[in-house]
Amino acid sequence: MRPGKPIWRSLDEHEGDAAFMARVAEEFPGLARVLAEGPDRRQVLKLMGAGLALGLGGCDPGDPKGQIIPGIKAPPGIVPGVENEYATASVLDGYATGIRVRHQDGRPMQVVGNPDHPASLGAADPIAQARILSLYDPDRSHGATKRNQPAGWDAFLAAFEQRRAGIAARKGEGLNILTGTVTSPTLGAQLARLQQLYPQMRWHQWQAINRDVVRQGAMLAYGRPVEAVYHLDRADVILAIDSDLLSAAPGHLRHARDFAGRRNPVAGSMSRLYAVESTPDLTGILADHRIVAGPREIHEILTALAAAILRHGALEPNTPAWIAPAIADLEAHAGGALIHIGPDQPAEYHALVHALNEALGGRGKTFDLIEPVEANPIDQAASLRTLIADMAGGRVQDLLILGENPAFTAPAAFAEALKQVPFSVSLGLEPDETAELATWHLPEAHPLEAWSDARAHDGTVTILQPQVLPLFGGHSAHEILALLAGDGAPDGYKIVRETWSKLDDAAWHRSLASGVIAGTAGKPSDGRLLQIGGPTLPAPTDRPITLLLRPDPYLWDGRFANSAWLQELPRPLTKLVWDNPLLIAPALATQLGVGNGDLVKLSAGGKVLTVPVWVQPGQAPDCVTAYRGFGRRQIGAVGKNAGFDFLPLGDGPLSIEKASGVYALATTEHHNPLDAAPEGVVRHGTAVAFAANPKFLQSPDPQASLYPPQPTGDTAWGMSIDLNACIGCNACVTACQAENNVPVVGKDEVLREREMHWLRIDRYYEGPAEAPRVLLQPMLCMHCEEAPCEVVCPVGATMHDAEGLNVMVYNRCVGTRFCSNNCPYKVRRFNYFAFARDEVRSIQSRNQEVSVRARGVMEKCSFCLQRIAAARIDADKEDRAIRDGEVVTACQAACPTQAISFGNIRDRASAVAKRKASPLAYALLDEINTKPRVTYEGRIRNANPAIAEDSV
Amino acid sequence: MTGGFDPSANLITKATLFGFLFVLLAGMGWWFLASRTDYANSVGWVLDQPVPFSHEHHVSGLGLDCRFCHTSVEVSATAGMPATETCMTCHSQIWTSAKLLEPVRVSFLQHQPIVWNRVNALPDYVYFNHSIHIAKGVGCESCHGEVGKMALTQKAQTFEMQFCVSCHRDPGPNLRPREAIFDTDWHRTAATPSPAALMAQYHLGTRSLTDCSICHR
Repeated sequence: MRPGKPIWRSLDEHEGDAAFMARVAEEFPGLARVLAEGPDRRQVLKLMGAGLALGLGGCDPGDPKGQIIPGIKAPPGIVPGVENEYATASVLDGYATGIRVRHQDGRPMQVVGNPDHPASLGAADPIAQARILSLYDPDRSHGATKRNQPAGWDAFLAAFEQRRAGIAARKGEGLNILTGTVTSPTLGAQLARLQQLYPQMRWHQWQAINRDVVRQGAMLAYGRPVEAVYHLDRADVILAIDSDLLSAAPGHLRHARDFAGRRNPVAGSMSRLYAVESTPDLTGILADHRIVAGPREIHEILTALAAAILRHGALEPNTPAWIAPAIADLEAHAGGALIHIGPDQPAEYHALVHALNEALGGRGKTFDLIEPVEANPIDQAASLRTLIADMAGGRVQDLLILGENPAFTAPAAFAEALKQVPFSVSLGLEPDETAELATWHLPEAHPLEAWSDARAHDGTVTILQPQVLPLFGGHSAHEILALLAGDGAPDGYKIVRETWSKLDDAAWHRSLASGVIAGTAGKPSDGRLLQIGGPTLPAPTDRPITLLLRPDPYLWDGRFANSAWLQELPRPLTKLVWDNPLLIAPALATQLGVGNGDLVKLSAGGKVLTVPVWVQPGQAPDCVTAYRGFGRRQIGAVGKNAGFDFLPLGDGPLSIEKASGVYALATTEHHNPLDAAPEGVVRHGTAVAFAANPKFLQSPDPQASLYPPQPTGDTAWGMSIDLNACIGCNACVTACQAENNVPVVGKDEVLREREMHWLRIDRYYEGPAEAPRVLLQPMLCMHCEEAPCEVVCPVGATMHDAEGLNVMVYNRCVGTRFCSNNCPYKVRRFNYFAFARDEVRSIQSRNQEVSVRARGVMEKCSFCLQRIAAARIDADKEDRAIRDGEVVTACQAACPTQAISFGNIRDRASAVAKRKASPLAYALLDEINTKPRVTYEGRIRNANPAIAEDSV
Repeated sequence: MTGGFDPSANLITKATLFGFLFVLLAGMGWWFLASRTDYANSVGWVLDQPVPFSHEHHVSGLGLDCRFCHTSVEVSATAGMPATETCMTCHSQIWTSAKLLEPVRVSFLQHQPIVWNRVNALPDYVYFNHSIHIAKGVGCESCHGEVGKMALTQKAQTFEMQFCVSCHRDPGPNLRPREAIFDTDWHRTAATPSPAALMAQYHLGTRSLTDCSICHR
């Protein structure tokens, strides 16, 4: 490999900050600092000897204690010790992604993907996986409250029945229902029936992260709110403008899989992705060309595209140099080209993109149009404005808010107006800001506790079936609406079954078992473009600084703020946890004279906020990004004091100035560095270099070794990770945390570099800080054949088994941490405190197949040993070998792009053996002869030869 | 000139030194050996149960197979404890007024489970799977002792790691022909296949069973 541009992980490293480099080099960071602060002897012993003390005292006496409590009747379908899986869906903002829930001994304990569902093909994103934690969240609402005092369901029923009589008498005058986006056929049908029952009733829809512009763009282009379904596997050239195609758009898991299938040059012809971004996001990570663009630049790009593709005219003279070759690329691949624009750009831009895609001949090939998946597509912003005006004007008598939290997510006018409503009911999972202001708050049945249905991005319907009876006596929105219709004893099952009465019992059970109702995918629409030339583009508002208010990738609009897993999941690009500083460009940081963690004063429309900043490489210089979902005011123990609420700033012109003070920001970007040159660690190159010599990323022949070769057996477990497919979504990290009972440690411990994630995604930047390229590398225990950690353990707690696994025996570990000291990959995690014991988490939510580690014990990736053992036992009982694909690690299963491949490398025909035979395959730090069982396929960039090298 | 010490000081010093040595050795001996006694491991000790269930009567007397109650032993990691309903399949018709069986009837009628005290237990960090042992020819009695002769249930083995590892190192002598696994009267005769033959029959011997990862996760 030729020495390329510098590769770095954090700006302090890039700038060569000496103090920072010294701190990063410490093996046990923070220890020296604590010692320097004048420790007392007790504290030192606590820090250094905790594990030792436990080890000496903890011999098991062998005294059998405990009780066995069998049931009264053996429950049908449950064999103790044998797991079950039931299909349902995770619904976010109305759109469903099919999932399955694993049950152990009759209780749900993990969300995994549903391979039969078209929106995910078996993957599960972090939000879906974290639903299991929110199911058991002790901070959920436990009962109906009236004006924040416990009242009880029966009291509510009585009060509601009185109101309903009044509503019926007035024919629904003054009755307003607020929901989010509704795709549920059942909910849509119920609301339609209610509209007939109470003709004056008003149904409002509004959610914080709404897709109004997508709808309006389709209206402008086609006259109907059609929805687009993308086929990225058929796209040879993709232009993504401020796009959420791979990160959050409905169907993003499917998009990621289809897209990644075209990214490995060994597998076939590579696609090319141009990503235009104002703030770095997942779509830009795998882009072949990433263009940093603010609102002005995006306007310029779309104008150029319209001029060239729609009107076949010439481009303006000042157009950036990359645009003409990109347009030529798109046109050369007409029929295999796709342009996508994100939900934060104006509706006219969306309409123009529709016209461009039609002109490029993608209809029926790279995208299809279907009739809207939503039950009732409307302009949600207008709907909310009407509702607020009605509430303030006293025209709302009865208000039902189903599953939304507008007192936090909507502008402050809503919370003010809500106080005017005489009878309001908020149905929600937790006692949130809206519950505090409403007359009644009812606990909502968790999505995993209730019957419902929902549609995926392509229209496919999934029936949501409850995995457990409501733990806290919650009720679903369906049941509340049934109450409103006069049904005194609503039953969610009956309501949903009735919607699907056309399915006979056999078809119903098939749909429940598979998680999809066959034949419900949306039919292609015959919509025609209204205006072939596209609309005129409005000029961008001229502002020195634009505030980009985006949903946090994991907390979304704040509804998941009490989820410990999601709070501690390092964000893909910033690697920040537990906080949402303002992201600013390096140029703006220099101008203001601030660095990471410095406070700034943000003023807009009379509101002033003092927040920390984070300098984000690759951010557009005239844009600052603020993530929503933090700064919740009424939230449980986990989400308290986490982050800042930027919503009060509003839309007006923004000004920033440096304020005094610093704020500690916890980020994992500089944690666990490898002591090696990054070029050899995260190997990458261009498609041209690959074509010239496919093996150009591989090291020269390995050196002779003094070690005896590993004994061969039938089974040798190994893993291959394709860096061309990793989009950095962190689904694997969450899956590993769920599967292996990995504890959450909290912000203070993350600041001390003690996060416990067994699997981490290292993020490297390459190039200048203003517009770097991003390289990702998932890091987990390499299960080295010559493991440096095994030889240094004084008590033999980590050893190598006959199948190649580096095994960690928790009960032997005394906590010397010599093993993590010796690990060159820094993948071992140590329980400095009793993290697992101190986590506020119900024991039922844990995986009983994996030990929960005590304090003072080292842990690390085990290649899902519990899954290997289960497969081995099943295979032995049936007297056969383990089949390829029978053992799927948690990370492998959750990955949307199938970047991880795992299996028996002795089996030449296995998928993993084929991936390891790829010319791009290399082992990490192979020069130190650890012989890791985890190898990577280097990343190839398919650059457009007509674009100047390194210009974008 | 004589020293300031009394002649008895010689004896006292020697006695003290030997005494310390004795206490040290005794203490180490106690520390090492006490936890390995049957008492410390509850071997042979009967635990109080809500119902004094007699395996001797039900198994040797009536001839019930182990699997009648412990139903999941061939398919699951845990052998399973019978639900109250299992007891009531017979005891709704026989001994219906027995005072000893009052807790069973109360459990069934009031929907309250019977809380048994666990006799055979392994620490949480040991993941034992019954079904694979049954599939590979280990009889119930090999680990649980002659349950068919126990009037009240006791633990038969210490279940120290040594007990498991000694068999894992050489399973042959502890295996039975498949039809004898649940047989409470079986013992090795001249007609029984040799340990090596049994190992071959069950396809054992190819994999190392003494890796830590076999039992510990």
